Amino acid sequence: MERELIVTGVGGQGIQLLAKTLALAATREGRYAMLAADYGGEMRGGPSKAGVVVGDAPLQALPILPSAWSAIFAHHRFSEGVQDRLRTGAIVVANTPLVDPGGFRADLRVFAVDATGTAKAAEAPQASGFVLLGAYNALTELVQPASLAAAMEELLPPYRRQHAPANARAIEAGAAAVAGVAGVPA
Amino acid sequence: MTLQLLEGGAAMAEAAIAAGCRFFTGYPMSPFTGLLEEMSRRLPAAGGVCLNAESEIEGVNMTLGAAAAGARAATGSCGQGIALMQEAIAEAALNETPFVVFNLARNQQDYFQATRGGGWGDYRTITLAPKDIPEAVEHTQLLFHLADKHRAPVMLYGDPLLAQTRVGVDIQPLDFGPLPAKDWALDGTGGGTGRSRQIWTWAMGKANDPGPGPDGHWRAIAEKFDRIAALEQRHEESMVDDAETVVVAFGTAAKFVEHVVAGLRAEGHRIGWFRPVTLWPFPGAALRRATTGARNVLVFELNAGQMLDDVRIHADDRDAVRFIGGVSIAESGLSYGPLLDAPVIRERILGAT
Repeated sequence: MERELIVTGVGGQGIQLLAKTLALAATREGRYAMLAADYGGEMRGGPSKAGVVVGDAPLQALPILPSAWSAIFAHHRFSEGVQDRLRTGAIVVANTPLVDPGGFRADLRVFAVDATGTAKAAEAPQASGFVLLGAYNALTELVQPASLAAAMEELLPPYRRQHAPANARAIEAGAAAVAGVAGVPA
Repeated sequence: MTLQLLEGGAAMAEAAIAAGCRFFTGYPMSPFTGLLEEMSRRLPAAGGVCLNAESEIEGVNMTLGAAAAGARAATGSCGQGIALMQEAIAEAALNETPFVVFNLARNQQDYFQATRGGGWGDYRTITLAPKDIPEAVEHTQLLFHLADKHRAPVMLYGDPLLAQTRVGVDIQPLDFGPLPAKDWALDGTGGGTGRSRQIWTWAMGKANDPGPGPDGHWRAIAEKFDRIAALEQRHEESMVDDAETVVVAFGTAAKFVEHVVAGLRAEGHRIGWFRPVTLWPFPGAALRRATTGARNVLVFELNAGQMLDDVRIHADDRDAVRFIGGVSIAESGLSYGPLLDAPVIRERILGAT
């Protein structure tokens, strides 16, 4: 079974890092992962998308996903067309208030997460992307929480090591934000 | 087995090192740069040399020199940089110096460049077009073998999706069988003996050891490429036996076509697909068999119609051949535009059948 995630947002929100963290966590668990990044030359403010696929056998998925099992909407800008690719029952993490959780198809399972507010409350204001990832993984149980934290640390360059504790708090705060909500195991 | 999450370019670099590549040159150019960076990080520790050249022309000629000395050597760029390398690639083909060229291109507009020679003289370049990163890892290693087997420069033709997508891969050295000794290599052992070796495109030889000259040499080279053409054709096909429609595509685009055609077949369409794995030599006889009885032979490629020529030459009924691809470039100029997308390809196929 291959599980696909589309992440869509704006450059600077941590889209690529959260996608890479998930793909690396799955790889470190010995599973097959694919990460297809799609962003322009801009560092910030431009469209930023990523596709992540995780499976237990060599992957068949296309690098441009025609359909997906789940999505994270970090920003409404540049997200046109993403919803059309989600299969019935797909899990959606919607970053409120930047994304209107009421603007989705009725057949999708939408979970609203105020990533910026949650990150600030966790004293990790720069890590709203990790809040979304923590919430997403708590809902889907795609990888072990410990794998996610370890992958986040592994991806930090030496000069960013000081952010590891805040990032870890953000992942946990994201998971806590959806605690008790009926999720969908992977 | 340990999976590593590697960018395609890095995976190809690791595969090249696993295949024994010990000399690499390049000049940064998107989306090839990742391969060069990985080589610069990893090749020295493997006992090799990686040089960031001042230009593509300098890089390919240094690779030619290392290969002439007997090393497994490679270079690369994207299509624009490969264009600059054509003189050296032609020289290497005509003076029989084996090395690997990676064209990690921005799209599929280099099919003619890869398959029609590109420089001067009577030669072709064995070109493999992998459909995904695991296959690129295998093709990279196969190319070093084919280069040495035939004493010829060979090419891997990839694209941004192949170069920049990350996948979990386990890279192990592959064994493709024994190769002849490099008794032609300029290893310096004959210096001063009067029997020093020569690698010379014109093959005139020396006063005490005359060569065949350009006529004899270039005839032999042409015959060698005829033998390679018969020997090294590779392809993949599926569901073509009863197919009314056969879709032909190469590289990453073929993986998309494979996905779309499988879906259409599941819906009851009598449709199959054909993929040349070697762009040169083109698997013409196999394409003819695969398209026998087909009413529609659809060609999908991300260019104005280049492989289309080869499909028209070899399809069982050339009147059945129709082009459903096209030029489609991202706004940045660095990758594909919206045409390379499964739903769009599906509409193109349905619209043409």
